[in-house]
Amino acid sequence: MKDIEWARINKDVLASLESPRAAFWIVLAVCIALVLCGVAAEVYQYKHGLGVALMDKPHYWQLYISNFVFWIGMSHSGTLLSAILLLTKADWRKPIYRFAEAMTLFSILTAAIFPVIHLGRVWYMYWVLPYPNQHTIWPNFRSPLLWDAAAITTYALSSILFLYVGMIPDLAICRDNAKGWRKKLYTALSVGWMGRATEWMAFRKTYVLIACFLVPLAVSVHSIVASDFAMSIMPDWHITSFPPYFVAGALYSGCAAIITLFVMLRYIFKFEAYMTTEIMDKTAKLTFAIAMVWNFLNLGEYASIWYSNDMFEKEVLIQKFIGPYAPVVWGMLLCAMVAPFAMAFEKFRHNMWAMFWLSLVLQLGMWLERFQIVSPPLASNHEPWTWAVVWPGTVQLTLTAASFGWFTMLFLIFCKIFPSVSMYEVKEMVFHRRHASSRDEMEDIGKIKDEVMRSEGGLA
Amino acid sequence: MALKRMLENWSRLRQQDYYAEEPYMWGMAIDLNKCIGCGACVTACYAENNLPVVGKERCGSGHSMHWMRIERYWTEPEGTPEIEQEEASDFPERGAHYLPMMCQQCNHAPCEPVCPVAATYHSPDGLNTQVYNRCVGSRYCANNCPYKVRYFNFFEFWKDLPHPLEMQLNPDLSVRDKGVMEKCTFCVQRIRAAKDAAEDAGHPEHVEDGTLMTACQQGCPTQAIVFGNLKDPESKVKKSWASHQVELDRYEQDKSEDVRGYRVLEELNTESCVMYLDRVRDTEA
Amino acid sequence: MRRKKQLLFATYEDFDKARDAVAELKMLDLKEMIVENIELYSPIEHPEVEEMLGHFNQPIQRFTFFGAITGTLCAFLLVAAAAQAMFTVQPQGGKPVIPLPTDIVIMYEGTILFGVLSTIIAFFIYAGLPRRLKKHYNQKVSEDHIGIEVQMRPEHMEKVRTALQSNGALEIREVTQ
Repeated sequence: MKDIEWARINKDVLASLESPRAAFWIVLAVCIALVLCGVAAEVYQYKHGLGVALMDKPHYWQLYISNFVFWIGMSHSGTLLSAILLLTKADWRKPIYRFAEAMTLFSILTAAIFPVIHLGRVWYMYWVLPYPNQHTIWPNFRSPLLWDAAAITTYALSSILFLYVGMIPDLAICRDNAKGWRKKLYTALSVGWMGRATEWMAFRKTYVLIACFLVPLAVSVHSIVASDFAMSIMPDWHITSFPPYFVAGALYSGCAAIITLFVMLRYIFKFEAYMTTEIMDKTAKLTFAIAMVWNFLNLGEYASIWYSNDMFEKEVLIQKFIGPYAPVVWGMLLCAMVAPFAMAFEKFRHNMWAMFWLSLVLQLGMWLERFQIVSPPLASNHEPWTWAVVWPGTVQLTLTAASFGWFTMLFLIFCKIFPSVSMYEVKEMVFHRRHASSRDEMEDIGKIKDEVMRSEGGLA
Repeated sequence: MALKRMLENWSRLRQQDYYAEEPYMWGMAIDLNKCIGCGACVTACYAENNLPVVGKERCGSGHSMHWMRIERYWTEPEGTPEIEQEEASDFPERGAHYLPMMCQQCNHAPCEPVCPVAATYHSPDGLNTQVYNRCVGSRYCANNCPYKVRYFNFFEFWKDLPHPLEMQLNPDLSVRDKGVMEKCTFCVQRIRAAKDAAEDAGHPEHVEDGTLMTACQQGCPTQAIVFGNLKDPESKVKKSWASHQVELDRYEQDKSEDVRGYRVLEELNTESCVMYLDRVRDTEA
Repeated sequence: MRRKKQLLFATYEDFDKARDAVAELKMLDLKEMIVENIELYSPIEHPEVEEMLGHFNQPIQRFTFFGAITGTLCAFLLVAAAAQAMFTVQPQGGKPVIPLPTDIVIMYEGTILFGVLSTIIAFFIYAGLPRRLKKHYNQKVSEDHIGIEVQMRPEHMEKVRTALQSNGALEIREVTQ
C-alpha cells in the first residue's frame, strides 16, 4: 500500500462523496422504507398502548430490550478498533477506523431509540433526566436504568467528539475541494484547520487523551447494560459474570459488524485499494480471538450455574436447552459458537464475500444471544404460577427491522457526506511505511558496504 | 437546601432502616388452612380498587389486572411417593392447594430501587407505594418482583367500561391510564381514612386494631386473612406472627417443628410483610 | 502603533526539503537573529517538528486531569442531592437514602464525561481554533505539500527568501499583515 500517491488518496476518497455505485441508492431506499414501517408501528403502539406489541405478564421486557443490548453491543468495536489500536500503535486500523467510529455513533443512536419506545408513557420520557423541576422530584440514581442513561449519554457524547476531532483534518481537505453547500458545511465544521504544527501537536495529544478515556468508558458502558440484568433478582439474570460476558459479546458482534460494513463500503465506494485483504485478515483474526473469549465466558456461565445447583437458576438453564426457547438457544450456539471457527482458515479469511456472509451469521447468533438472555428467564421465573411463553408480535418485529434500516440509513448518509476513510491517516501510514522501507534499503546498502569493506580488508 | 440537609443528616441518610421509629408497619397473615379458593377476595379487590375487567381474550393473553389472585397448585405435601404425586394430579379435587397472592409489601423490596424515576418507594408505615402519576412505564419493577404481582396497563382499559358502569367506580382512588404500573396497595385509601379518623379521635399514632380492614379481608367468608399493625403488640396480626414464630429482619426463620408460619420466597431476603400459614393435610386420606 | 507583520509563505513538495529549509533558517537566525517566528504547515502529523521548531507549550493533560476530578465531584453532588431532593426523601428497597456503591457508577461516568469535554476545550484553546483561514493559505498543503511560514522584519526578507529558495521551494508568497 506504500505506493499510493497522496494526491490519489484525496481523489479516491473524495470521489466516494460524489459517485457511489447504484447499490448505494437501492440500499438507501430499502432502509428508508423500513424506517417508515417502523414509524407506522410506533404510532400504532403509541395510540393503543404497549399491549399491541404482545408483551404480557411475565414478559414485561422483550425484543425492545434485547435490541437495545444488541445495538449498544455493536457500538463497542468502533471504539475498540480505534482507541485500543491507536494506543498500541497498530497502523492497520487507519483505513478502517473512521467508518468503525461512525458505526459506533449510529448504533448508539439506534440503541437509544429502544428504551424510549419501550416505555409505557413515552411522553414523560424526560422525567428520567436530572433537571430542576416544579415537582421537586429527581430521578432515582439507584436504578441501573439511570446508570444506563448516564453511561450512554457519556458514551454518545465522547464518541461523537472522538469521531469529530479525528475528522477535522479530513474536513479541511474536503473544504479545500468542495463547492456549494458542501463548502459551507465543511468550512464551518473544519473550524479553520490549516495543518499548522501547533494544531497537529495539540491534535495528537488530545486524540490520545480521549482514546485513554474511551477504552475504560466502553468497558463500563456494557458492564452497566449488563447490570440491568445482573443487579436484578431474577434467576439467570442475577449472574456475577454478566458484565465481562456482555463486554466480550459486544466486542464480538461489533467486530462482525465491522466486517459486514467493511465489505459493503469496499464494494459500494470502490475502496479496494485501501481496504485490503491484509486488513481483513487482521480484523478476522481479532474477531476470532474475541469469539473465543466470548465462548469461554458463555460456557463458564453455564458451568457455574450448574455447579451452584441453585434450584431456580438450574431450572431456567434446563428450560433454555429443552424448553420452548430451545431453538433460539441452539441457533445461537450454532451461529456464534461454532461458525467463527471458519475464520481459523486463511483461505476463508481472504475471501471477502465469504467473510461478509459469515459476519452476518455471527451477528444473527449474537442477536439470538440477546434474545435468549432476556426472554427465557422471564418465562420460568421464581413464581411458577406465572410461567408463560410469549413470542414477540408483529409490532415488535417491525420495529426491530426498522432499527436495522435506521442504522444503515444513517450510516450511508454519513458516508455520502463525510469521508469514510481517513485521508490524513492513510497518508501517514503510506508515509511511515515508505520511510520504513527506505530505511531498510539504506540499512541493506550499509550492510553490503560493510561486507565489501570487510572482504576487501581480507583480500588486502 | 438538599445539600444543607445532607450535611446535617449524613449519618441518618446512610442508615439502613430509615423508618425504624415510625408507629406503623402494616402486615398480613393468611391462613391457607382456612382458604377455600372461592375468589371472594379477588372480587372484593376488583370492586374496591377500580381494577379493569379485561375480558376472556386479554385474560388469555396475559393482560389481566387482578392485584390479588388465587394460585392453584397440585403438588402433594412432602413425603408423598412420586407415583402417587402423578396420580394425584389426575384428581385435582383431592390435591388442589390455594394460595392467595398479592403484593407482599416487602421491606427490602427488589422493585423499589430499580425504578428510574422513583415512582415506587417505601412509605413510613411500611408500604411499598406506587405513584401512578410519576410512573413512566419502564416495567423494570415488574421484572424484578419475584412474586410477579405488579400489573401493567398494557391498554387503555377504562375506555372499555360501558356507560353507566363508570358510576360504580370507587371515588377514593384514581383510574389508571395506559402505560402505568400498578399493584396491591393494602387498600391505602382505607388506611389513610382510618389514620385520619384516629387523629380526629385524639390518638394520632394509634389505629385501633379491627377498625381497619382491607377489602380482601372484608370479603373473605372464612376469615382466612388478618390485617393490622405489626408494631402494635396487641394487634391480632402481630399475635399471629408471634405465635407462629415469624419475625421481620430474618431471611431464615428459626422456629419449632409444629408451627406453620412462613413467608413466600423468604430466602431471597425481600423482608415481606405477609405471613402465610401452611396448610395441614392428611396424606392418608 | 502596531507594527505590520511581514511574512513569507513557501511550499515544498516533501517533508525532507522543508526540514532542510527550517534547519537553514535556524542557522541564519543563530547568526543574525532575524527570524521572529516559523510555522510549519503539513498534510500529516510529523512528530519531528517538536525538535525542529522548539517545544510546544500545550498542557492539555492538565485540563483533562482537573476536568475529570471536577466531574467526579459534580456527579457525587448530583446523585447525593437528588437522592434526598428538596422535600421527598425516598428510602427504597431497604437501602440507605444515599447509597455509595450505586453512586460510584455515576461518579465514574461523570469523571469520564467531564474529562473528555475539558480535553476538547483545551484542544481548541491550544490549537488556536476555531479561526478564519489565512489569506495566503495554500490548498496544496492539505493534499501533499509542506508549507513554511516565516515572520521577520521587512529588511531581512531577501535573506530569508534566498534561504527558502535554495532548499527547493516550489512557490513563495509574500504577505503583509
